[in-house]
Amino acid sequence: MQDQEKYDIDEEPASAPGYRTYEVYQRERVGETTNLIKPRELISDQYLQDPYPLVGLLRENYPCYRDWLGNRFWLTRYDDVTSIFADDRNYETRPKTWFYNLGNYGQNLWSEVSVQKAFESSVDNHVEAIAGEILFGWDSGHFDLAMEFCAKIPLQLWGAILNLSEEELSQFIPSYLKMQRGVGWDPLRKRNGLDALKNLETLLNPIFSDRKKEPGTDFISAIAQCRLAERETQVSDLVVTILELDHETFHGGLANLWFNLLKHPNELGKIREDERMLKFAWLETLRCTPPVISAKRFSRTEIERFGRLLPKGALMMCSAAGANRDPRQFSTPEEFIVGRKDLCQREPRGQYRADGLPSGIAFGLGQPSIYPAVPKERPRSLYAIVRDSAVAASSLLLHEKPNIKLVDESNPRLRSLLLNEMHTCWELEVSG
Amino acid sequence: MSEENSKSLNEILNIDADLGGAQRKFPHMPLGEAVDMGFTEDGVPLIDPRIFDSGEFGRNPYPYYRILRDHYPVYYDQLHNSYFVTRYEDITNCYFDEIGFNTIPKGSSSGVLGNTQLELSGIEHRRRRNIYGRHLVGAALTKRLYALEEIADELISEWWLSSNPKEVVTDNERGTVTVELGKAFANEFPISVVAQVLGIPQEARQQFTWWYDAMMSGLGGSETHHEGLEARQDLEEYVEDLVEQKRNNPTYLTDQMGDNICLDIISELCNSEIDGDVMSTEEITSFIALVVGGGGETTRGAIMNLWYLLLQHPDQLEKVREDSELWDTAFHEMLRHSTSIGGQPRHNTYDITLHGVHIPAGSLIHMVDVSANHDDRIFTNPEEFNIFREDLYSGKILRSGHDKEGKCSHMAFGVGPHLCPGAWISHQETVIGSKILDKTLRNVRINSDRMPKDIDGVSLAPIGLGSIRELWLDFDLPK
Repeated sequence: MQDQEKYDIDEEPASAPGYRTYEVYQRERVGETTNLIKPRELISDQYLQDPYPLVGLLRENYPCYRDWLGNRFWLTRYDDVTSIFADDRNYETRPKTWFYNLGNYGQNLWSEVSVQKAFESSVDNHVEAIAGEILFGWDSGHFDLAMEFCAKIPLQLWGAILNLSEEELSQFIPSYLKMQRGVGWDPLRKRNGLDALKNLETLLNPIFSDRKKEPGTDFISAIAQCRLAERETQVSDLVVTILELDHETFHGGLANLWFNLLKHPNELGKIREDERMLKFAWLETLRCTPPVISAKRFSRTEIERFGRLLPKGALMMCSAAGANRDPRQFSTPEEFIVGRKDLCQREPRGQYRADGLPSGIAFGLGQPSIYPAVPKERPRSLYAIVRDSAVAASSLLLHEKPNIKLVDESNPRLRSLLLNEMHTCWELEVSG
Repeated sequence: MSEENSKSLNEILNIDADLGGAQRKFPHMPLGEAVDMGFTEDGVPLIDPRIFDSGEFGRNPYPYYRILRDHYPVYYDQLHNSYFVTRYEDITNCYFDEIGFNTIPKGSSSGVLGNTQLELSGIEHRRRRNIYGRHLVGAALTKRLYALEEIADELISEWWLSSNPKEVVTDNERGTVTVELGKAFANEFPISVVAQVLGIPQEARQQFTWWYDAMMSGLGGSETHHEGLEARQDLEEYVEDLVEQKRNNPTYLTDQMGDNICLDIISELCNSEIDGDVMSTEEITSFIALVVGGGGETTRGAIMNLWYLLLQHPDQLEKVREDSELWDTAFHEMLRHSTSIGGQPRHNTYDITLHGVHIPAGSLIHMVDVSANHDDRIFTNPEEFNIFREDLYSGKILRSGHDKEGKCSHMAFGVGPHLCPGAWISHQETVIGSKILDKTLRNVRINSDRMPKDIDGVSLAPIGLGSIRELWLDFDLPK
């Protein structure tokens, strides 16, 4: 209470200078009514199952919605969302370690070219084999494409990237998933996630130490051999890089791709006619049903945008679900159309508008690569790696099961299991 | 992947258990006990942030605040993207640090109330507060205390009108009277006082009460937000005309002899200049809305909670009746025990680390006054209502929050620059109103049959966060 001791009892302390001027904050109009939506609807089961009506309502009525319950601002229009992504000066991304309150634990080394190259070659070398092995195990009966194929491939790929034995992989998977799911607000999951993170460290430490001594050309070796300014790389750097890389866009995107194709046989027909259309189906999937439906950005400074005074530190909920179905950008945005003409066929981050066309916005792929994509020695972007992997696995599936279709009377749907988790299909019963 | 692993994938993802995972129904616990939300490896209880939106928390908040104070003095609630500071000393330090912790512009109440004092900082806050603050304290108010008594007497006299506007139930056979204290007195009394101090003409008082009700229920983006906004719009239109009148013909508050004491608040605001500018109608409406909100609901809650607690502690009520100066002590202990103001939000201007938690600049921090009032680092047996406790400062309301010996006041009015300017008038209203009520409420007791019940269907509903909604009283028919 030392500050108070400066003052006599009941004497007021000298006033501090005004932090913001009255005039600045007077500019924002008061009395805005937002009666069409209740903040709790944005954390409701309805939102987890089908966020599109709710974010559509926001987009058309409250383009920068002040959600008092979640202390955040929702952006749902395409131009608004993409303007945030393109504005690193005013808005920051906080890493998953921040949400874990892990301070300086480990460093994400994804920006290192050697790490990207090792990752790229591992994925390219293994994805078809992994997909093939899974399909080999599919007998003639029903098959849950969501859990047996789409969910497993990314996890198996991690096994290949990290060069894990089957025994190690069986330990890796539960810890990895718990670690990823612990990033959110749930204290039990966070506790379990932190335990899992430590387990991963223990599991990967011997391999990391070996690669440190005898490096190869693999992903772990690439991280082990990175040169940091102040210290040697440690296994925590490997764990954090895995944590940040995640698997959700690959898993969720692949599941949503097949959900969309199987629910729209005409669109699947386009691919059967010309397999090259798979790439466009992937792009349209990320636009129409992005697995990561929103991303968080924090304002670095007090700033007036979208007709509001956004305080420093404001949480901006950038909704891909809202932006990707913005009728200002896409005609009939609710429809899944493979090869739609108003979608840019480039990296779907929104910043790029090749040919003047907007792309769908897909999160979960981190920041755009800091390296230009043109020189051949550069690795492809993470987006491109994931896209090519999804296309390769899907192509194989189509070859192996050309008559694939939904099981009669099955009614697959998309949903998030928890708030801020991916919006995808968790059960997709097929025959073929 | 082996068959065994493929089975475990579903289990690991725990899909079935997670369906419906966005909301959680918490069981209602015995008062003072927290729901088991899990523990860390070290045995520290976990807090599921969904508890803050639950009915359980509203009726039984204190065990959860205790967990926060003891284990997470700075708690980051990721679901609501905000921090909670819950210890008395931390909150006090933050309230005094105007540079480090700022009020929130465009806060949750601003939609309805407008740009109010609550949201200003520094010199801007001082300039505006000083215009009307003097109406609510000191000599200007002392000369007006008789008016409080008049209003209270008038309200109670309505109990006996044949039209029965206060819905009083008289049982002549048993010689008892039954009233709901809110409807009969506490809802209207503070609003009438505020309306008079503001200078709202008598004929508009009823409409004024309606605006007040609608605006209060429309705060914070609530479900009745829209109605609150409409009420504010109505109020603003009304005030516009009133302001024009008072700019030309200011009106005065008068003392018992009919002599002018000072301008009423609206006349004062109409004729004040800040930095060479007169205040706009919108600004004046915001002032009025704040004074109404601050002086209405809180005082209503204070009267209700005070009587509820005293009637549950009849030995203390008896002592208060024996020594009328103890009404003041009881008022302060009631506010410590069950204040109806939860706390105040702040933004931190710079990155800070408090109790090992890094808080990025601009974060929303809830300073939980309710929790500070139950901090056993300051108050022993904080859950106990005891007007004789020796660790609570109950004298003249101090901005510093403590007396020269370091004895702390409750946090219901806050401390520091944003100490509630209506603290003293609220105190006077509650005490004077209660003293007048006490004259009529002979042999008063709670009518348990009519009272809202707790989850067991038998016990009376606890006060919880806020104030008690209904208080049914039986008393002996006046002779």
